[in-house]
Amino acid sequence: MKISYNWLSEYVDHGLPSGELADSLTMSGLEVEHVEQNELSLDGVIVGHVLSVRSHPEADRLRLCNVDLGDGEPKQIICGAPNVAANQRVPVVTIGSRLTINEKSVKIKKSKIRGQVSMGMICAEDELGLSEDHRGIMVLTGTSTVGEPLKDYLRREHGLTGDTTLDLAITPNRPDAACHFGVARDLSALQNVPLKFPEIAIPPSGDEAEKHIDIQIQCPDVCCRYTAMIVRGVTVGPSPVWLKRRLESVGLRSINNIVDVTNFVMHECGQPLHAFDYDRITQKKIVVRESMAGENFVTLDEKEHTLEGGVVLICDGEQPVAIGGLMGGKNSEVDDSTANVLIESAWFDPTRTRRSSKVLGISTDASYRFERGVDTALQPWAAMRTAMLIAELAGGSIVPGMVDVHPKPNPPSTVDLRISRIHKILGIQIEHRRILQILESLGFAPHETVEGVISCTIPTYRPDVHLEVDLIEEVARIHGLENIDLPKQTLLQLSLPRPRPADLLREHAHAHLTGHGFREIYTNSLLPDDVATQFSQLVLDSDDPPARTLNAVSRSMATLRPSLLPGMLMTMRRNANHSQRVLRFYEFGHVFHHSKRAAAYIENFSEYDVLLLGLCGAVRPTGWDSNPRAADFFDLKGVVSQLLDALRLDTLNMQPSYEPTEITDYHITLYSDSARIGIIAKLSGAIQVSFDLPDPVFFAEFNWTRLLLLHEKNPPQTYTHISPFPVVERDLAVSVDQSQPIGPMITTLREVGQPLLKNVDVFDIYTGDQIPAGKKSIAFALRFGGNRTLRDKEIDRVMRAIVNAFSEQFSATLRS
Amino acid sequence: MQAWRVFYCSKMDTSLENLKTAAANITKEVSGAKLTTASDREAFRIRFLGQKRGLITQLFKEIPHLPKEDRRFAGQLLNALREEAHATLDSANQNPPADPTSFSEIDLTLPGRRNQWLGSRHPITLTLSKITDIFHRMGFTIAEGPEMEDDWHNFTALNFPKDHPARDMQDTLFIDEKSPDQPRIMMRTHTSPVQIRTMMAGKPPFRLIAPGRVYRNETITYKSYCLFHQVEGLVVDEGITMADLKDTLYRFARAFFGEDVKLRYRSSFFPFTEPSAELDIWWELPDHPDGGRWMEILGSGMVHPNVLKAVGIDPEYYTGYAFGMGVERPAMLHYDIQDIRLFYENDVRFLAQFQGVAG
Repeated sequence: MKISYNWLSEYVDHGLPSGELADSLTMSGLEVEHVEQNELSLDGVIVGHVLSVRSHPEADRLRLCNVDLGDGEPKQIICGAPNVAANQRVPVVTIGSRLTINEKSVKIKKSKIRGQVSMGMICAEDELGLSEDHRGIMVLTGTSTVGEPLKDYLRREHGLTGDTTLDLAITPNRPDAACHFGVARDLSALQNVPLKFPEIAIPPSGDEAEKHIDIQIQCPDVCCRYTAMIVRGVTVGPSPVWLKRRLESVGLRSINNIVDVTNFVMHECGQPLHAFDYDRITQKKIVVRESMAGENFVTLDEKEHTLEGGVVLICDGEQPVAIGGLMGGKNSEVDDSTANVLIESAWFDPTRTRRSSKVLGISTDASYRFERGVDTALQPWAAMRTAMLIAELAGGSIVPGMVDVHPKPNPPSTVDLRISRIHKILGIQIEHRRILQILESLGFAPHETVEGVISCTIPTYRPDVHLEVDLIEEVARIHGLENIDLPKQTLLQLSLPRPRPADLLREHAHAHLTGHGFREIYTNSLLPDDVATQFSQLVLDSDDPPARTLNAVSRSMATLRPSLLPGMLMTMRRNANHSQRVLRFYEFGHVFHHSKRAAAYIENFSEYDVLLLGLCGAVRPTGWDSNPRAADFFDLKGVVSQLLDALRLDTLNMQPSYEPTEITDYHITLYSDSARIGIIAKLSGAIQVSFDLPDPVFFAEFNWTRLLLLHEKNPPQTYTHISPFPVVERDLAVSVDQSQPIGPMITTLREVGQPLLKNVDVFDIYTGDQIPAGKKSIAFALRFGGNRTLRDKEIDRVMRAIVNAFSEQFSATLRS
Repeated sequence: MQAWRVFYCSKMDTSLENLKTAAANITKEVSGAKLTTASDREAFRIRFLGQKRGLITQLFKEIPHLPKEDRRFAGQLLNALREEAHATLDSANQNPPADPTSFSEIDLTLPGRRNQWLGSRHPITLTLSKITDIFHRMGFTIAEGPEMEDDWHNFTALNFPKDHPARDMQDTLFIDEKSPDQPRIMMRTHTSPVQIRTMMAGKPPFRLIAPGRVYRNETITYKSYCLFHQVEGLVVDEGITMADLKDTLYRFARAFFGEDVKLRYRSSFFPFTEPSAELDIWWELPDHPDGGRWMEILGSGMVHPNVLKAVGIDPEYYTGYAFGMGVERPAMLHYDIQDIRLFYENDVRFLAQFQGVAG
């Protein structure tokens, strides 16, 4: 919202240059986002007196003006404007001066048009940058001296100087600050100087006005006040320069003197106003009611709207003439022929205005203010101020009295403020006198009823203030948060938090995975719906559908991810397209889906933390003595196993599956008891191709939330005594059917080898000449140890037990 | 490969036949060995001729277990084997192939072997850790909450009145519940609901931060994304004041941005704090006409009494403060990143810049 420095300065002698003013407002809660200087660039423009005007002999539309520029030698200046006439005082750009027209700097030269010399230029307002008016040359009113700089004249006669526009970001709690009065009020408190608002004598409700207009409010909940006044015999025309300048300084275009006044008063005091052409109001009657669904209405921007029910309509005796709080109607708008004006100054409900504004797509300066909440006490003042200015600028006379219908008055409330509470919340002492001063300046009419308790009356323009703490904030922001001194020492609480296992685990996972060349990625939680659906079968515990959004901005972000895999595949594709050959990534993130199980947070939905890692491409960097190889399933399985070992989760059950699924060619599911914890898999070739990936993709996805719970069940880590006795190493080679999986053999080894067997490695798998067809040889390296020196006989006994178990369970034969 | 080790199990059953098989395997291995580097040759020596575990040495140790009549033959067999191994080693030692790792030919400028690439943590993780570390040192615990929230936790309990324009400030992404009622479930618009969940689950004092992902229903541009990350802070105890809040935030900002950072603390508005304030830092920009500009870093304030009441805490007795900051913005400032989308595109050329000690 724009505030003009000059305009603001009319209401409060703040004494601050614009930069300091902006800082002061920003610090106190009215954030100035942007400051724009609008200097008048009028060097070389002086006041001229038109002595005579005659037609150009060679051009019908041009006139030859003889203009006195005060230098004793009148000049001939050619002018095309129809309104130029003798005895006018006009702005003249002298030869050699520069003028900015359409943002281009133009140098005014002596010129010749069809044989006639022109010694300068008589200007319209827009050419001088004073307004956008280009209906004719500017004719100076008031006193002026021929030859004086136009700048001096404008400052003296119209108070026009260069101005500064402040662009404020008004927070929703400050509807009062959406106008110059509101900002001035804060400034008066900040600078401790009085306000200078215009004094207006508000006429009583009733009188003659009541005979000319009848107001009925049928929906007092959404229109609690409607005030009307009438001005008769106006002449609609252009506004004076000062008014145009004011409107332009807040980013508005001048329309005509009537509409301009309503806009001016709105930006002055915050009350939106509407001017109807009184003669177009049938039966001289205004009815405020809610719309019925399906009603049509044409707003003054000539757009036709079909309304839903509940839009506030302003109607005359026959039909709607405006949408309350949003925009007037085409059928009752003020135009050049308007002679009598009906001024509306009303209050509309914020919620209803906001809803109508959204539904109808109409957002105006008026709706902006009604949505935030307009002062319910302001309507008569604003109506009278508008009527007076219209009468002043457009002629005409105010019909005495006003019609002020106020079915639901809300009396001002009072709030008590304890001085001690200010200290308790802010942690600083503020001088008693200053507290009262601040509250007084902001209009809270403070008085100390009991010692230490200040009773405040909350003005109707501050609907945000209703608690004691709201008043404390008022004191704090005006006193200045900068003035809250930092304590010299800080109290540290006695118990310091221990690191959470969750954080330690994650930290370890980061270190482990980055150590294995994985790069962490962050991908979007929102996926196209078909992608989310396709990958939702990776959800470990449910066949429920993914969670969809209601109002996504785009179809590519319609559904929440049930798995991190799609995001990683997109990352792989993107990088493969940029010729990256090494694709190793991991991501921690939340996944979501519908769920019928008991929910941790939100009923009917499941959300948990997931770790995904994936790789595609070479297994290690190319070196001068190493042979390149693409990474495979066991590279990933190794990284995963080491991670699980490190988290002391090495007892998870790994269930292989050789059946292809839609997503995988083969995979291992990790279980803890019956709960699925994760999956290690080769991505299906079809999906790999669909993501343009050159090498097979392997991925592992874990329910990290469950892993954490499992980890937390581990007994606390304690030291185990190191045996001083030597270990015994034995190797074991057996021959089994080629289809025999090795995993169960290791399990058997571990079981049978207890308690002496400490470690098992597979160090060779061999098929070939030495082995019968259809068989393979597997060699295990075993390490035994105990709390004593092991004798060969003991080990031999264990080895025999192992060989027997192998023979029984896997038909394994010992190789010799 | 490594078929020679198969013989090793014959230890269980020492016979001349097994010894012959083992010797044959070793012969094959010895004759096929590639002894390019000095370390290859040393490994060869240890493997076959080592004093203790050398394979040939160990076979010699089996001789006493053989029947007497076989021992002589076995001795000859193994002697021949040992000779052959020595000969192979000597020949390799005398005519070594080019070996840049050998003592005599070593080329120290040859690149080291890299067994794995450097991985990298994401810059958001790095920045988040930096933030949480600072607060952790100040005695804050870490709390977490769901990203999918209900209206009560995300808005109502945080003192957002129904239909208040404040709800417009955050364009919310709602979830389809397949019910005709008013949408009730949404992706959280801030991490503040974690305040509510934590306070509902415990009793004061509270002193926590809550990092996490939050959502806005926005189109993606270089300066806005449909999601981003926040760190929320909450302290509730007896006698907590705004001076404590400012103190904590200033300490944080100085630890994060540097001791000499220029700060300003200005009044603002959030529905769930009163009074509310924002912390700005002065960011130097050499090309800027003012030499820099103020940048908003975090929002904060004293916990609104209505929030405390909503979670059953007496606001007359307890006071508290809360704050929330984005993670992307300080990360962008710190690393001079101009386009927020880079964080979510995960281009390796981007990620690789944060590997190792990325600061």
